[in-house]
Amino acid sequence: MNLSLTDPHYREKIKAQQALYQVIDPELFVNVIDLGLVYDIAFDESDTIHVTMTLSTPHCPMGEAITNGVRHALEIAFPGKKADIHLTFDPPWNFGMLTEEGRAQLGA
Amino acid sequence: MADINIGKAPPNSAVLPFYATAAVSFLALCLLLLAGAGSLTTHYFSPHLLAIVHTAALGWGTMIIFGAAYQLLPVVCERDLFSPALASLCWYTLTAGTALLAFSFLDFHTGWIMISGGALVVFSALTYFVNALLTSRVCVRYSAVRLFIVSSAAWLLCTVVVGLLLAINLAYPFFSKSHLEILKLHAHAGLAGWFLQLIAGISSKLVPMFLLGKSSKEKLLRYSWALQNAGLLLFLCDGYCSGITGRTLLYAALVTAGVICWLLYLHDAYRRRVRKSIDIQMKHTFISFLCLILALLLLPVILYARDYRWAVLYGTLLFMGWITGIILGKTFKTLPFIVWNGHYKDLSGKVKVPLPKQLYSEALVRWQFRLFIAGTVLLAAGIIAGSIPVIRVAACVWVLLSLVYALNVGKVLLHKTKVQP
Repeated sequence: MNLSLTDPHYREKIKAQQALYQVIDPELFVNVIDLGLVYDIAFDESDTIHVTMTLSTPHCPMGEAITNGVRHALEIAFPGKKADIHLTFDPPWNFGMLTEEGRAQLGA
Repeated sequence: MADINIGKAPPNSAVLPFYATAAVSFLALCLLLLAGAGSLTTHYFSPHLLAIVHTAALGWGTMIIFGAAYQLLPVVCERDLFSPALASLCWYTLTAGTALLAFSFLDFHTGWIMISGGALVVFSALTYFVNALLTSRVCVRYSAVRLFIVSSAAWLLCTVVVGLLLAINLAYPFFSKSHLEILKLHAHAGLAGWFLQLIAGISSKLVPMFLLGKSSKEKLLRYSWALQNAGLLLFLCDGYCSGITGRTLLYAALVTAGVICWLLYLHDAYRRRVRKSIDIQMKHTFISFLCLILALLLLPVILYARDYRWAVLYGTLLFMGWITGIILGKTFKTLPFIVWNGHYKDLSGKVKVPLPKQLYSEALVRWQFRLFIAGTVLLAAGIIAGSIPVIRVAACVWVLLSLVYALNVGKVLLHKTKVQP
């Protein structure tokens, strides 16, 4: 997920990213941001936060828990807003999407 | 809302009873081992040993594999399980069938009770086959893993049908061939068809997933599937027509080559893994593979040695070393996640919830690993030395191991939701 200082929603995106650091993949014990599962977070004038994300594998047994975690964390960080999760497998997740911190947490 | 179906895990009622029953069966198996330590120094066709083997193969191995498979088939095939109701029904028939068979073998009471037990097990295998076939039939991606899952389910069905015929033959003899010769074919269809192919298929999906290591050599899995099935089919056809001969080694070599291809695939995934630390559950898996390799190396000895101890050692390495080893490790890689999902998937992100690994005792898993190694080494030593006291000590270690395992499984199954605001 890339953040730009010129983005008009930069502050909100930073806040959303901070909230998502708290959502942990229960199997890997690494948060969804450092795993590279979140592709984009978009804010508009409506009350909805649009999240484009993936899972490490389609039909991941922990998929529902992870997407629920993302939704709940954002709705707590932004009271009154709803989180809309757009799940995609294009591009599919791969190890290159891990951040340096994520790789370090996995012992890589 | 997520606009891609990420799938629903089957209801816990279709999965958890298998885990609970398997833990009880494992304890029963270890107690049978302790009570009948002497049977491991005699010919393998003895009532007590038959009861032990069927408790191990059906009550322990098949029971927990069914539970895990109903949970993992949707992950492998990337679609929901065809019928959770059929999976639940399967538990009733497998449990009743295994209990009837084990008790019938224990006092060698041939007749309708044994035949009914066999028929119930056949029904369970049929329901599993239907679920596996129809879940994988519309796989999004047609992989070698799917081939292993479908072929293993078909081999299980063949194995238990032959088992039922053997049970009928004991009460109402009708085979023109020797009962013991058919028994060898029945056992190897189960070992090399059902257990080997199912474990090869599921581990080829799970080991890379747990290690975060992807192998690009899927061709190895296809070779493995072809070699294992070619070796097994040739062995069964030749064994039925001409009995067990020196050619068996050729067929065993084909299956062994298939096993090597599968292990090379896993090794490639291991080498490329991102997750460097190896947990104790994965160490169980590595020890179990070692037991499988040792059992395969014993095959020429079994064929040419007159002593029954090598056949018993072969069976012990396969059931107690390989199959049990992989189950002991994988239980705590699957069960806590299934139970955690039931308790916490709707709470994730809302409140602070425990991690799946906090649902069981890691200290008990470390003891389980030590006891497993001690129990396997002692049991093998006792069988090789033909020493009943050593086998009895080994059986005590196994009883302790099964208690540790049952305690930890119980801790997970009886977990109560705990949240912190």
